[in-house]
Amino acid sequence: MTEPTKDTKEFWRWEEYRRVCSDKSWDHKDVITAGVDVGSVGSKAAIMIDGQIYAWAVTRTGSNSPDSAKKVMNMVLKDTDLTQNDIKYTVGTGYGRVNVPMANKAITEIACHAKGANYIWGPSVRTILDVGGQDIKAIHCDQTGRVTSFLMNDKCAAGTGRGMEVFADLLKIPIEEIGKVSLSLDEEPEPVSCTCVAYAKTEAVGLLRKGWSREKVLAAYTRAMAVRMANLISRVGLEKELVVTGGQSKNMGIVSRIENILGVKTLPSPNWREGELDPMLAGAMGAALLGKALYVKAQGN
Amino acid sequence: MKSQSAEKKYLPDMPQKEVEELNASVKAASERIMADNIERMKKTDPNRPAAMQYFDEVSNFFGMRQKEIQEAKAQGRKVIGYLCVFAPIELILAADAIPVRVNSGWYDTSKLGDRIVPVEVCPVIRSTIGAKMIDLSPYLELSDAVISTLTCDGQTKLSEILSDAKQMWIMTPPRVKDSAQSLHLWKEEIKAIKTQIEKLTGNKITPKKLKEAIETMQKATKAFRRLQDLRKGNPVIMGRDAMLVNQMSMWDDIKRWTKKTEALCDELEKRAEKNEWACPPDTPRVIVTGTPMFWPDNWKLPTLIEEATPQGILVGDELCSSDRVLYDPVGIDEWTMDDMINGIAERYLMASTCPCFTSKDGNEDRVNWLLNKVKDTKAQGVIYYVIRGCMLYAMEYSRVKKALDKVDIPVYYLDTEYTREDVGQMKTRVEAFLEMLSARVDF
Repeated sequence: MTEPTKDTKEFWRWEEYRRVCSDKSWDHKDVITAGVDVGSVGSKAAIMIDGQIYAWAVTRTGSNSPDSAKKVMNMVLKDTDLTQNDIKYTVGTGYGRVNVPMANKAITEIACHAKGANYIWGPSVRTILDVGGQDIKAIHCDQTGRVTSFLMNDKCAAGTGRGMEVFADLLKIPIEEIGKVSLSLDEEPEPVSCTCVAYAKTEAVGLLRKGWSREKVLAAYTRAMAVRMANLISRVGLEKELVVTGGQSKNMGIVSRIENILGVKTLPSPNWREGELDPMLAGAMGAALLGKALYVKAQGN
Repeated sequence: MKSQSAEKKYLPDMPQKEVEELNASVKAASERIMADNIERMKKTDPNRPAAMQYFDEVSNFFGMRQKEIQEAKAQGRKVIGYLCVFAPIELILAADAIPVRVNSGWYDTSKLGDRIVPVEVCPVIRSTIGAKMIDLSPYLELSDAVISTLTCDGQTKLSEILSDAKQMWIMTPPRVKDSAQSLHLWKEEIKAIKTQIEKLTGNKITPKKLKEAIETMQKATKAFRRLQDLRKGNPVIMGRDAMLVNQMSMWDDIKRWTKKTEALCDELEKRAEKNEWACPPDTPRVIVTGTPMFWPDNWKLPTLIEEATPQGILVGDELCSSDRVLYDPVGIDEWTMDDMINGIAERYLMASTCPCFTSKDGNEDRVNWLLNKVKDTKAQGVIYYVIRGCMLYAMEYSRVKKALDKVDIPVYYLDTEYTREDVGQMKTRVEAFLEMLSARVDF
């Protein structure tokens, strides 16, 4: 099901893949909706049949949002028997949400991640940490997945997916192993003092020269980012259950440190490699769900 | 550029050529931004009130109003700039001088201010410094003296920096209102300013003149309140338009402004009778509170709110750059000089909801003002706007949030800079907040 396209020389490069739930079938009575989440780093698409996931895909965002949206939609449709025309309603979300050509409506990734997290983990989810390519959002929602409050970092990319890519490259550790490697030390080092990507890079080089191991530098940086995220969660008001969505949900180094700092367990992340729902797709799934609600509402009027 | 014989303490000696070049480029950019803002306001409300055209004209920094003040000055009238709404306008008017607010809303000049003060300093302050460095602000340049009120640390040092180029009159407001000596101290400040104004203008402020000035401002307040009242119902006017009207009261001739505002209100009432709205009546209603927002560049947040998907409407604000400006009239028992000075002192101190005050009840005046405003305007949410470096507003947030939580009004803390660069990121935050407000209806 997965199609790895990884080039081992590019340490930052993460896996692009698509998946179809081939056990599901559809007919023209069904409300088929799509969510397209064009993030700053990754573009994601999800297709739902009557509010149930049918297919999804994730790819790297190119320099142009409309093209990235088209690319990921083509990718998700490829192994299905659906065409663009079968889709009743599409919601664009993410950084490039207003530049999704096939979208009927744009909704922020904040509303979509809350809805998507509610779908993935169920109605008990109250606090969501979405760590995307360039933003971190702490979201509080109700049992229906409706946002009740949220906080978002400023324009600084510290602690985000993009920052992690920079570190993977710098330390020559494949991005998918970065979490595990950051947890490989017996003792947690002090967090780096500066989480700004540009400065942290300089600081990291300094630490390497001082004789720190790559693992130690990575652990110190990951720790600093986790502290920042935990603060954001505390400020929005931590209420159980807590989940992590977005690309960084796959980074064990981040997730386990946040749990450690806040003293709570996050709801276990589904095993996306085994075909379970991917929390990186929460935004796209939420978008497809909100699309369904909007479509049904429009039909009713 | 005015040559200053005394050695400058802060302002650098910039080559005249550099000053001229920077002035020309920032001015050109500013003219584009003003035109763009107005264009976008027209686009948001295609049926924008005809009376707005007048305010658009006054809002041109390098247009009709600048010329008017220049001409008045040529005939011997004095211009008194002010940096804060604590400045007693009635006294300026009573001495036949022209009051005009001189805070800077230019983004580009805040970068120039960085040459003198670090970037951590509030950008409104840095921007005002930068504007002075390149003689950009017509009103600051035309001011014969500038009243500066020491309401925050930035303002305090700004007064010192500007004193390199301008005659600065400093007023120190007490930071507590509810102590026996506060009003007494402030009254002395008012009296001192009165003397300064009389000295500069050569005009004695007589009881008759002061009464006239107070009545002029009372009329302005009446028109101002009428406009704010109209905003309480269905949206008759977009928030940005009302904000521009409110802000222009500090730049325009106040008597003419009053007339034009009354005319605008007449037009709005007619629209309301015909059920003509500036945007759909179910548009989420938002109030903004926090750091002042000055025309022209810093129109960022109101624009984002009213151009957002889903759209929002600004039904009011708690900003010293718009809805707070003329809200309170001077109350007079007897038209004696002493009573009038008392009335003025009370209006500018006791009625102020500036976060510079502290009290054991936690600056309750500001909180209550905001809660009332939320209730009156039927606002569904509050955006708490803070420009990084604006300590007082930033620190008071958690206090305000608690009060709003109690009445179940969502509040969003939005921090930003004096720059256009973060508009995309701010848009996501504003839209997510508006989605949250409208979610009860939509999903």
